[in-house]
Amino acid sequence: MDRRGFLKRAGLASAVGGAAVLKGRDLVRAQGQHAIHTMKHGGHGAVGEVDHARNGFDPTDMLTDFDGGEVSKDRSGRTVREYEFLAVAKDIEVAPGIFFPAWTYNGRVPGPTIRATEGDRIRIKFVNSTEHPHTMHFHGIHPAAMDGVPGQGEAKSGEEFVYDFIAEPFGTHHYHCHSVPLAQHIHRGLYGAFIVDPKKGRPDANEMVVVMNAFDTNFDGENEIYAANTVAFAYMLRPIQIERGRLQRMHVINITEFDPINSIHLHANFFHLFRTGTKLEPDEFTDTISMGQAERHMIEFVYNDPGHFMFHAHQTEFVELGWLSAFEVS
Amino acid sequence: MATTVKRAGLPGWLGAIGPIVLIAVMLFLFVAFDPIGGLRDVPPVEAVSFEKVELSPGSVEMRIRNDGPDPVTVAQVLVNDAYWNFTISDDTLGRLEDATVTIPYPWDEGLPLNIALVTSTGLTIEHEIEAAVETPEPDARTTGIYALLGVYIGVIPIAVGLLWFSALKRAARRWLGFFLAFTVGLLAFLLVDTVEEGLELAAETGAALNGTALFAMGAAIAVVGLFVLENILEKRRSGTQGLLLAYLISSGIGLHNLGEGLAVGAALAAGEFALGTFLIVGFALHNTTEGLAIVAPLGAEERRPSLWHFVGLGAVAGVPTIAGALLGGYAFTPGWATFAFGLAAGAIAQVVWKIGRGLPEQGRLSTAYGAAGFLLGLAVMYVTGLFTA
Repeated sequence: MDRRGFLKRAGLASAVGGAAVLKGRDLVRAQGQHAIHTMKHGGHGAVGEVDHARNGFDPTDMLTDFDGGEVSKDRSGRTVREYEFLAVAKDIEVAPGIFFPAWTYNGRVPGPTIRATEGDRIRIKFVNSTEHPHTMHFHGIHPAAMDGVPGQGEAKSGEEFVYDFIAEPFGTHHYHCHSVPLAQHIHRGLYGAFIVDPKKGRPDANEMVVVMNAFDTNFDGENEIYAANTVAFAYMLRPIQIERGRLQRMHVINITEFDPINSIHLHANFFHLFRTGTKLEPDEFTDTISMGQAERHMIEFVYNDPGHFMFHAHQTEFVELGWLSAFEVS
Repeated sequence: MATTVKRAGLPGWLGAIGPIVLIAVMLFLFVAFDPIGGLRDVPPVEAVSFEKVELSPGSVEMRIRNDGPDPVTVAQVLVNDAYWNFTISDDTLGRLEDATVTIPYPWDEGLPLNIALVTSTGLTIEHEIEAAVETPEPDARTTGIYALLGVYIGVIPIAVGLLWFSALKRAARRWLGFFLAFTVGLLAFLLVDTVEEGLELAAETGAALNGTALFAMGAAIAVVGLFVLENILEKRRSGTQGLLLAYLISSGIGLHNLGEGLAVGAALAAGEFALGTFLIVGFALHNTTEGLAIVAPLGAEERRPSLWHFVGLGAVAGVPTIAGALLGGYAFTPGWATFAFGLAAGAIAQVVWKIGRGLPEQGRLSTAYGAAGFLLGLAVMYVTGLFTA
């Protein structure tokens, strides 16, 4: 029995009923275990904090962690970006204290954000260290042999496959495993962002990637956790720091399994929406956008006033199950 | 004092504790070397039961118990599908350990409340409160209400039922058989009812506590206990055969009413039903017949027992309702309640057997009076029971 258990019992033995229980609870509070972290939102939210170091990835770092790969030029002068991806099974903490048996690319969910410029050649050595077959299926334009589906570019357990294709078209894209059963392979965490920049570039901005995902932790076909970049309420506990007056460019990707749509809404602001990020001019000016699975958009906005601004799904159920975030503008 | 029997070979005490030592060694070896370790490399089985849920304005407090085989760590709490802040007295519960979870939640009176514990493995364990109502505080007023409830559904109806004695006394002999058979029918109905409710509760106690065994143990204790009581009373020759039987019946009914009070008190405290006047009327009607059952064996007595015996009979059968209502309201746990229903079932079974064996000639179930009495007893209980549903 641990010390807390012993003290609890001692408390129960010393008195009867409610008084003893209260004593135990105060004791725990005094020890700082599971104290209520914030009552700012009326008591709503998770208790405690996820150990990002143990997870091996941090939602704040993942926002701006763009991976250009190992860069070289081929004989024709084309930029070649080489990557090594490892499929690995790993338990990850998706909300404080809740562990999910994830399947990951390189130990993180979402997988690394691949970033290239339109026309670059992408070469990925994909090694599968798990028990199940996996693929990397890119949303983009590529030959059939590089499609990453069962029978075409699937790496069985312990095997590897090299994906080799040209990054096109420019836009906000993503990749995911396409092995069967498909819902299971996607939902377990095998997905990531694939950002292709236009050749002529875009205006300077602070760029971020937000993958809207969810976890069915009890495997009943419904999600218990919704999040922006995996960890429930992560950006509520540690708001995303942004600079007032600076252009913000967010790549928003919906990979949520089991629910037909997800959405994003910015508080006290509007954003320019670039559908799938495939154009240089915005399609729309709005403050809320709904997206089906695999839909993704680029949004641009500026906060001119300092302060705390929420952003979240506008399915309130998802909000209360973890997809609630905030910016701290200064 | 001590007498020792000298014998060749091992001393007696060694023979007695030898097997215990041997099994301890075997278990130690089993735990130390874990020969079936490979077979147990499966996900943990997590089970938690909700033993007590108390609602106060803006707060939900629950006592939970790990009744599964493996430790359970409560990671988060969902209230109506939203993560909510909470405190827990001990977030990792070993087998059979309990903890108190407190959630500061602005619940709404009369509306359902769904609470789910999310464990470290992502499992959700849900508890549904059908209609949220404030849990009564154990103050004088609430205690008074529970006690009054016990008086109304237990004490008064039984006392009234006892008044049938004078009518019984004047009845013809064959009618006495009829009323005894009626009592058997009535008690048989209560027995089925008690077993059903007890086993329902047993299902709520969770796997580790083994509710069915608790129920069975309660029943066994009651049967044995009543046999012992009967033996003591007979030896003391403190009363006639009829009076003895009346006390046995009232003891059985008293234990049943303890369970009934427990169920009513707990349901009230948990907000599981709105206590209407109609329901009280139902219980009162239902229990008045119990008074008749108690005095039925007294009809054949030569002399009228003293008034104090009637007070005693009524108290033994009725007062436990008050205790039950108070216990149910303030300290209900499915485990204890199952045990209490087991006691009641055992007691009633014993009494049914006892009366059945001693039925007079005219009360035998093979006679017209006996059969009619028995079936009418069942029917009366069924009909009056409809008012309590």
